Amino acid sequence: MQAMVRKEFRQLRRDRRTLALMIVVPLLLLVVFGYVARFDVKEIPTALLGTQAEALAGMLPEPFAVTIVDPEGSRETAEDLLRRSRVIIAVIAEAPPTLLVDGSELFATQSARAAVAGLGGLPTGAVDVEVLFNPELSTAAIMVPALIGMVLTAVGTVITSLGVVRERQEGTLEQLAVMPLRPRDVIVGKIAPYFLVGIVDMAVITAAGLLLFDVPFRGSWPVFIAGSILFLLAVLGMGVLISTLSQTQGEAIQLAIMTMLPQVMLSGMIFPLTSMPWGVRWISYLLPLTYFIQIVRGVFLKATPIDALGIPFLALAALALVVLGLAVLRFRRDLAPAGHRREPSPEPEAAT
Amino acid sequence: MSWGVAGLRVSFGPTEALDGINLEVPPGRVTAVVGGDGAGKTTLLRVMAGLVAPRAGTVRRPRQEQIGYLPTRSGGFRDLTVAENLEFVAAAARLPGTGRRADDLLERTGLAPFRKRLARDLSGGMRQKLGVVMAMLPSPAMLVLDEPTTGVDPVSRADLWRLIALAAAQGAAVLVSSAYLDEAERAAWVMVLREGRSLVAGTPAEVTASLPGAVVDVDAPTDPARAWRRGPRWREWRPNGDPTAIAPTLEDVVIVASLAAETGRAR
Amino acid sequence: MKAIEARALTRRFGAFTAVADVDLVVETGEIVGVLGANGAGKTTLMRMILGLLHPSAGRVRLFGLPPSRETRRRIGYVPQGLGLYRDLSAAENLSFSAAAFGVAAALPPPGTGTGALGHLPLGQQRAVAFAAALQHHPDLLVLDEPTSGVAPLARARLWDRIREQAGAGAAVLVTTHYMDEARQADRLVLMAAGRVVGRGQEADIVGAARAVVVRTPDWSGAFAACEAAGLAATLAGTEVRLPGADLEAVRRALGASGVPAELSSAPATLEEAMVLAAGR
Repeated sequence: MQAMVRKEFRQLRRDRRTLALMIVVPLLLLVVFGYVARFDVKEIPTALLGTQAEALAGMLPEPFAVTIVDPEGSRETAEDLLRRSRVIIAVIAEAPPTLLVDGSELFATQSARAAVAGLGGLPTGAVDVEVLFNPELSTAAIMVPALIGMVLTAVGTVITSLGVVRERQEGTLEQLAVMPLRPRDVIVGKIAPYFLVGIVDMAVITAAGLLLFDVPFRGSWPVFIAGSILFLLAVLGMGVLISTLSQTQGEAIQLAIMTMLPQVMLSGMIFPLTSMPWGVRWISYLLPLTYFIQIVRGVFLKATPIDALGIPFLALAALALVVLGLAVLRFRRDLAPAGHRREPSPEPEAAT
Repeated sequence: MSWGVAGLRVSFGPTEALDGINLEVPPGRVTAVVGGDGAGKTTLLRVMAGLVAPRAGTVRRPRQEQIGYLPTRSGGFRDLTVAENLEFVAAAARLPGTGRRADDLLERTGLAPFRKRLARDLSGGMRQKLGVVMAMLPSPAMLVLDEPTTGVDPVSRADLWRLIALAAAQGAAVLVSSAYLDEAERAAWVMVLREGRSLVAGTPAEVTASLPGAVVDVDAPTDPARAWRRGPRWREWRPNGDPTAIAPTLEDVVIVASLAAETGRAR
Repeated sequence: MKAIEARALTRRFGAFTAVADVDLVVETGEIVGVLGANGAGKTTLMRMILGLLHPSAGRVRLFGLPPSRETRRRIGYVPQGLGLYRDLSAAENLSFSAAAFGVAAALPPPGTGTGALGHLPLGQQRAVAFAAALQHHPDLLVLDEPTSGVAPLARARLWDRIREQAGAGAAVLVTTHYMDEARQADRLVLMAAGRVVGRGQEADIVGAARAVVVRTPDWSGAFAACEAAGLAATLAGTEVRLPGADLEAVRRALGASGVPAELSSAPATLEEAMVLAAGR
């Protein structure tokens, strides 16, 4: 038995990926839970509107962080600001004051309520708190749209990387390179089916989410579909990229798992981005899921118009372009090592 | 004590994997089992290694710890170095250490400079050599090697056969399988398997002498069903003999026996 | 016509030269076998011919043209790993490669069924790989150990098909390190350390290489004596062979041990010649 144990430890030490999974991942979990996993929100972007706005501006305690003061603003302005995610709380500073809260930001809403309740010297009911978009503060309404992204990440990244790496593992990639197929035929032909499967998958999951969990869909379908396609491209690109970095399916799965964990933790799906320290939050902004969640939560619950989703759309498009581009370049290198590459030395024809 | 099987039958569900196999595996001899993929080689070797239970027949084999077994395409734990692999075998066999025998075997196979290299970083031939060295290290009474030379280049193959000969010279009963007949000529005794049955068996000389009729070398065959290519020329089997008969190779004999078995079955 | 014409072909990987200054011509209708140990450069040479690797120097012409998508249309390739999809059926595999070459799919070989190819015996998988490589009637067949793991009669049948292709005008390039396969070629090329070190028939490759043959009633004693004297011995049935050894050195080694033996010198086998060429 002793021989077995020693052998196993030696093998573990050599297998860098498993080792990374065993050490880096627990460390990541600890860091995330320690620094990131804060349900209490320290800063809530707040808008002050109405005639008393300026008077109130200096008076609001933490966690309210006033970012917009607009004495001209009305209830419509407030709702619009919330819909566009410019702020999470809008105070209409009339008598009596009304607090509008973005119910899609569950933890911010709870912090805001607690803060209002804790305001000293105010008689009960003096401040009218109104939760918009998700008045019952239902967890499903927030989680289901995010889960669509989560499930697609898992399916898109893992299945695509397995499918592509299998060609390498079984030696069929070489056969493809020898056939009279253009590299682009192979690459597009390889990815397109996964893309279509991803679209169908997305439709099925979305339908199931809407029907089973009674999640509202208030926004525009074209915006949702456009966002989904960009997200899917980024996720598939990630899968192809992983496959070009792996020799076997086992390696591909390990790599895919390593990219999945940070997405779950840092994308804002569970923990609000605003409560993460910047040391970690920058990672969030490199993850496609972060932007997809902003888009789907906005579209599902708040009917956010597309012009208010410019940043997530642009970021998602840029990520898709970079990841897919990198993936295709690497894939192409496997397929056409001889062609399409200019040798620095002149072709020997000149000599003959 | 001689090892071996008699009247061996093995079946996996409805599939008859081995049927009526008699094979002696005496100490100090290299015994080869040759056949194509699916002929039953691996099953026969696994029976001798104690990994498959026969349905019928007798199996005489040494105690389990006296058997060195190399499965197809193994060649050590890939994440361990050459030295660590040998240490594991030594510890598992409760040897006091890897000792001089390991040094000697590594020296003979050209693996000695690579003690600290991971098995996964060795070439295919080197890894197979490591596998055989691991199986041989505890000096087992019987050495069972499943296709040790498949996919191995000629240089490593020569080293592997030196190792196999060494094991037999040191008194082990050696049972080796191969898909190639040119390998069988190195063994003292050969059994060719086809579809779970013994097609021909004996010393290479006995096997070539057992050919029914004659094999001739011709420009063009008279009966294409009984002819096969050898380079640009043809070999043809004449069941009733022929004055221009040539000395057949083992491969010729096995082709003839396969043809005879096919026509026999067709009747 | 020259199906393959490689001139001064060289490929370096960093400081390592895998193939050095190789000339190789394969005419139509000809079967040429490339032999060599691991690291001799066989695979690198083949990959350059297939257009999977770019040469560092020298050039490859296929049918007089540089390797391109057009030349690939005329090549049939059976890699060692077969290059088939194990989870597709024989017919599905054939239809995929037929579509890639823009031809009608051939019928799957008999007995290959409709199930996943991976469940078939290796011999039948090989038959499918051949059917896939032949269905577009290639002018050049490149085969990497084409009959590895196949029983002798089935191997003979596969070689019948390869010969038929050559007879119909296809050029065939086979890389192998099995002597059974090498003997099927019209012409052999032996590589060692990236260079061509022998060309021609089996006898030309073996050349002057010889082996000392020891006939003895005590082979294990003779083997042990030779090995103890530092002579690399190998077994051939119950004889001991020492390729490239000096007869007198063997006589001295055996004399010192007192093993009764009858010594002779014989031409080396093709395999022994390959080992000697590899410098061991």
